Amino acid sequence: MKLEGFPQTVSLRDGTPVTVRPLAAADAKALLEFYRSLPEEDRLYLKDDVTDAGWLQRFVALVGSGEVVSLIAERGGKVVAEATLYRALRGWSTHVGEIRVSVAPALRRDGLGTSLAGELVKVATRIGVEKMVIEVVENQVGARKMFRKLGFRQEAVLHGHVKDINGTKRNLILASSDVSHVWDAMEALVADFSPSAE
Amino acid sequence: MHKTEIRVGGLGGQGVILCGIIIGKAASIFDGKHATLIQAFGPEARGSACSAQVTVADEAIGYPYVKNPDILIVMSPDAYTQFAPQLAPGGMLLYENELIKVDGTLPKGVRAFGVPATRFAEELGRRLVLNIVMTGFFAGVTGLLSYESVEQAVKTSVPKGTEDLNLRAFRKGYEYGREQSAGKS
Repeated sequence: MKLEGFPQTVSLRDGTPVTVRPLAAADAKALLEFYRSLPEEDRLYLKDDVTDAGWLQRFVALVGSGEVVSLIAERGGKVVAEATLYRALRGWSTHVGEIRVSVAPALRRDGLGTSLAGELVKVATRIGVEKMVIEVVENQVGARKMFRKLGFRQEAVLHGHVKDINGTKRNLILASSDVSHVWDAMEALVADFSPSAE
Repeated sequence: MHKTEIRVGGLGGQGVILCGIIIGKAASIFDGKHATLIQAFGPEARGSACSAQVTVADEAIGYPYVKNPDILIVMSPDAYTQFAPQLAPGGMLLYENELIKVDGTLPKGVRAFGVPATRFAEELGRRLVLNIVMTGFFAGVTGLLSYESVEQAVKTSVPKGTEDLNLRAFRKGYEYGREQSAGKS
């Protein structure tokens, strides 16, 4: 699936330009390097072992199949952030997409995560995703704030669902954003409804 | 007074009226011209024929009805069959070329330009924006209104949150229209 409107240049809060574009197969090595550079505690919050070359191969294949949309942010030829939209192509939840965002520690709180997630939300809305979900651990305060800003609201809490690096059990928060109404409004607008036909 | 009469035709649910509203809004609010709009619906809100009559002029318009349009924009075969014979000689036909097959019934001198608007809209992610692709195509082929005015009219006429895709649809149609227009000039 070809995503239009990329590459884009995003300016961080200090004015540094970062390029955002869809992941290509040729970026696999750079993406693996990025994930391997993340602190172990960060990687613990991810569902997959993103440092494993086998995972990367499967991930790139999913991007090719359209099941995954991946946006990367580059600076100085290096991947500095990645945002993923997972969606089921069959089954009863094809209208739902799950979002995950990872940003290099040095670039956090600079607006990069918000920009990437925001772009991904736009892409998701465009390709027919009606509901977006995220999973965040209760102490990921920055991520929770970012997603709240993007319109995500808490839907459920799974108590003691994850264990952090010290073995402490923590709550997992499921939040979602229903974007179906956005296109309902457009649908109503193009319905060419006649008041006199009622 | 220079006056251009436009008819937009298609099926209910294709956004025919919105297409007419955007053209009129671009002309009157963002391009400093005068415009009128008359909308006609079929007996049912969806799935039946509907059309919009838009007149754009550089002075106030005294008579808003369009009988023989200079420009006809059609999105369905029925609308083509119904409205194409009414086109003014030497007029312009803009049609969805994967839904409509143009036959030999066009008035003399009519120039026809086709666009696969439905496919473009689907490729962009939503079939719903086919009318915006057509609006961009209209702007690109005719050059009647400035790019900026129609872009602004699109941006201010669509629901919040859908601007991004609608503007992409507009640009896609506009660029395709410019190409087609250059190819036939």
